[in-house]
Amino acid sequence: MNSFYKKNGPVIATLFLVAIIFWLVFLIVIPQLYMLDLSFRPNLPPLLRGGPDDVYTLTHYKHFLYGSETSKDAYNYVDIGVFLDTIITAVLVTIINLCFCYPIAFYIAKLATPNTARLLVLALVIPFWINELLRSFAIRILFAGEGVINNILLELGLISTAVNFIALDIALYTGLTYAYILLMIFPLYNALETLDTNQLEAAKDLGSSTVRTHWRIVIPHAKAGIASGSTMVFMLTAGALATPVVLSSPNTYWFTQLIYQWFNMNDNWSRGSAYSIILLVVSVTFVLLMMRLFKVTIGEVVR
Amino acid sequence: MSAEVELQNVSIAFGNFYAAKNVNVKIGAGEFFSFLGPSGCGKTTLLRAVSGFLEPSQGKVLIDGQDMSGIGPNKRPTSLIFQNLALFPLMSVADNIAFSLEVRGHDKTSRRKRADELLDLVALNGQGDKKVHELSGGQKQRVAIARALAVEPKVLLLDEPLSALDLKLRQKMRTELRAIQQRVGITFIYITHDQGEALTMSDRVGVMNDGELEQVGSCYDVYEAPCTPFVATFVGENNAFYGKVEKVEGGKVKVQTGGSSFIGQAGLGLDKKNYKFKAGDEVIMFVRPEAISLKGNSKRTQNSFSAEVKTIEFEGNLKNIFLRSAEDVDIRFSVSSSSDTSGMEPSKNVYLSFSQDNAVVLPTGALALD
Amino acid sequence: MKPNLAIQAFLGLYILIFFLYLFGPLVIMSITAFNSAEFPAITPWECFSFRWFNEGKIAYDGQRLAGLVTDRPLHEGIITSLIIAAGVVTLSVPIGMAAAIVLTQVNSRLRTLFYSMSIMPVLFPGVIIGISTVVLWDRIATLGGDGFISELGRNGIFLTILGQTCFISTYCFLIFVARLQRFDTTQEEAALDLGASQSQVFLKILVPYLMPAIGSSAVIAFLASFENYNTTVFSILSEQTLTTVIASKVRLGISPAISALALVIICLTLLGAFLYEISRRSNQRKKDRENKVKMFSEISGNRLVEEQPKFFKIPKSIFVFLLLLILAVLTWQHLIKNNMYGAECVEKAEASKKSNFADQLKLLQQNAEGVETTDESEGNASRSKGYNDIFGDQNLFKDFGGFDTDKKEENENGATRSNEYNDIFNDPNLFKNFGGFDKKE
Repeated sequence: MNSFYKKNGPVIATLFLVAIIFWLVFLIVIPQLYMLDLSFRPNLPPLLRGGPDDVYTLTHYKHFLYGSETSKDAYNYVDIGVFLDTIITAVLVTIINLCFCYPIAFYIAKLATPNTARLLVLALVIPFWINELLRSFAIRILFAGEGVINNILLELGLISTAVNFIALDIALYTGLTYAYILLMIFPLYNALETLDTNQLEAAKDLGSSTVRTHWRIVIPHAKAGIASGSTMVFMLTAGALATPVVLSSPNTYWFTQLIYQWFNMNDNWSRGSAYSIILLVVSVTFVLLMMRLFKVTIGEVVR
Repeated sequence: MSAEVELQNVSIAFGNFYAAKNVNVKIGAGEFFSFLGPSGCGKTTLLRAVSGFLEPSQGKVLIDGQDMSGIGPNKRPTSLIFQNLALFPLMSVADNIAFSLEVRGHDKTSRRKRADELLDLVALNGQGDKKVHELSGGQKQRVAIARALAVEPKVLLLDEPLSALDLKLRQKMRTELRAIQQRVGITFIYITHDQGEALTMSDRVGVMNDGELEQVGSCYDVYEAPCTPFVATFVGENNAFYGKVEKVEGGKVKVQTGGSSFIGQAGLGLDKKNYKFKAGDEVIMFVRPEAISLKGNSKRTQNSFSAEVKTIEFEGNLKNIFLRSAEDVDIRFSVSSSSDTSGMEPSKNVYLSFSQDNAVVLPTGALALD
Repeated sequence: MKPNLAIQAFLGLYILIFFLYLFGPLVIMSITAFNSAEFPAITPWECFSFRWFNEGKIAYDGQRLAGLVTDRPLHEGIITSLIIAAGVVTLSVPIGMAAAIVLTQVNSRLRTLFYSMSIMPVLFPGVIIGISTVVLWDRIATLGGDGFISELGRNGIFLTILGQTCFISTYCFLIFVARLQRFDTTQEEAALDLGASQSQVFLKILVPYLMPAIGSSAVIAFLASFENYNTTVFSILSEQTLTTVIASKVRLGISPAISALALVIICLTLLGAFLYEISRRSNQRKKDRENKVKMFSEISGNRLVEEQPKFFKIPKSIFVFLLLLILAVLTWQHLIKNNMYGAECVEKAEASKKSNFADQLKLLQQNAEGVETTDESEGNASRSKGYNDIFGDQNLFKDFGGFDTDKKEENENGATRSNEYNDIFNDPNLFKNFGGFDKKE
């Protein structure tokens, strides 16, 4: 601490400390801890907070598992269903994105000429400066009853009446895959770019097939990129709100929409907090799982 | 204005590793002093302690008799020229040079004036508005010198500033540095692992090894009268004959090496007195390559021996001849290129000798690694 | 590595499809902005018009659909978003910079912890950051009484700035860390040695070096804030930002005005990318020239022969522009030929739709009277409220036989139907499906 002050001078050192403490403590740690605390408390009007009724309780977590006390079901099938749906879909979206992006990332990083690569990267970035809501909106226009996709399918005679893609959630899945694809491509691209092209040539020279070269050399090299991209895509998909708001059908809920409901429609903040904590725990578990699975550090995951 | 710098028992430790151990040296005002040593010997650490980036773990740094402990680098009357020069790439040449005046609140015109003066001093007139990256290596070097001199420091510290230059330029800059030092008349403390640099420029040299100062003396002393085997082998080339003292006679020592025995001078210790040897002591006798001469016949005389020629190396002004003596000692001796070496061919035996005045006997110790 | 022809062709096709997937939806959305119909679509094409950029229209059923120029909430949302973005930039750039600089100074054990904490917000779902900010500050506001703190704690703009700063600071932090990794710390020492104080070293050496990172992190922070929805929707409370306005618009029934807005944003993005590319190229050229000059000054003699610059070099992008131009001209001719543009066309389409709608309404009323006697009021409600409740329920909708009269009209309604599916948050009936969702009042 002393040397810190000596190194930066008193004024700058104090400013640094204030900025960092403000951020780490007041913006990151305390809000999360308070939300965690709130999730264990009953839903009370503000005036009763801190009163005799304000005791720790597991009621919100129980509600997530078993439903309301008046319901007849053994478990809260609706909420758990939404939760599992969200997680499974997020995993699927992540895997699809990975498969979809790998060839592109490899092409840009290793096969394209530098000029082409730069242009492609620029072209990749452009769609992602456009708001997620608007991109989802574009998908929605595409999949509408009278949309381009229905028209093409009708024209080709593949279907006889318009398909309601939105009710079938196809639009939602497409939209989610579309929404965060860049966050898969870039870590992959960055990882693959550092791969020495000579290694590929050596492998080829030694008689390795293309598939084998990728399996044994390219993919192990891109490990950190894969972990990073998968984590980002999963987190963002599981925590997505904008895309489901635009694209989900009325019968489909995304877990974040449940949270939103408890918060803004039902004014039950502590239950909303509890559901948020559940989402947070899943997210953190996923990150830890990825770190363990790919043997990477957190610094390699977030770059 | 120049100042004298004194290091009193300075030790610098990082954890349990001593980068400098018990260094005592007094550098006079206006002196050009070099610390010479292999990389990793702690000379840069010592320089950082003088400039104030490091506090010694033990001992004191005195500048002009004043204890410098607790005084930061920005408050000391020293200026450091970094190994990589550390010029500010975003500033122009003139802004670089006048930076020390800028932080002291001088106005723009006086800054510019001083920068131009210094550019004159280092022969870079009219280059003030260039960007740093537009300069060549030697020009950058001069800018770094000018920048360090702008504050009018009492002591200028130079951390191997010439190491990045190529040979010709390096030799030119040596002369120039020496000239600048004489012009400004301040104390220069120079750090290098290149003995050529140290010997050509300095008034005195301190040879360092493993964090310890092995010898301090004039260039001549260090070369001709090394105190330790390390100094003997690090500064210049030397042939080492290991052996035992046979007998001591005044300043002369007779050393038994393998089958033959040679006579040499007892070396001087750090205390400037000859080493006191007695019979049976393990010693090394050092003979410079240029002190060895070819002997026409095989007649056994004092300090003569036979050896087999291995290779001959041509080095412009010199020829280096590598041989192996009958006692399996590797010998290297040099003759001027113009001298006749027609009789010397690989695997031929020749007879060599050296004068006893040119042989220095020292107690055993570590040699400098080749 | 040169793949063989088949693989090359396959790769090419793959990349084409990939970029089609990326850009196709955006292109189609952009085109729909010029269709005068109420629902954003390419087919059926009604008329080419700029109305969605200007005044919007009053639909045949009386619903007011605002265009970009007349949309007050949108303008207010943009202003709020700008205020928030400015706040976020002023907070998160210094925070990110301070954290990155301190990271270089702490010892290695502390560094891992500090780094992990700093990047944590990126790994939190955005909704959670929004929620935690709101719950904390609501509590602070309650405890703070009626004064300034209470007002601050319930100010949506303030909360949103805090919430967004939480994770946008991490973006800035990462940018600064990357830049600082290449910093030569001897420069700081040199400045210190030349007599600069620590503050002077910071201001005269470090800050100028970090300037590019400051610029890019400010841009990133601004854009990230401007685009953010997940955090903002919770923390904004009663205010509206651009994204929440768009979200509520999309929920209330999608309108081509949103396409128009998207097109404006796309154009701005393209312009930005274009300018970026131009500046990058001119920088590159400047650097090349400097290098050349230096090379010539260092290498004497005639070992280097200066290349003759080509006078005419046709950039490849010209062909893309030409292709687009031809496409545009062809489309325009098609529009002219079929009289699908201009005020006349719009008027005609309006009139036909209005009369269709009147017919339909009559039919609907007749049918309703036939089934139930009290349906009059519901018909009125649906008319004025834009179908929300009726169309929300698929089955209910099917019961009405009266929509078959006009094929085109049904399509129109079919489209509207899908629009309204989204309106989950506004339909109180839907909550009943979930056991515990009834409000506790």
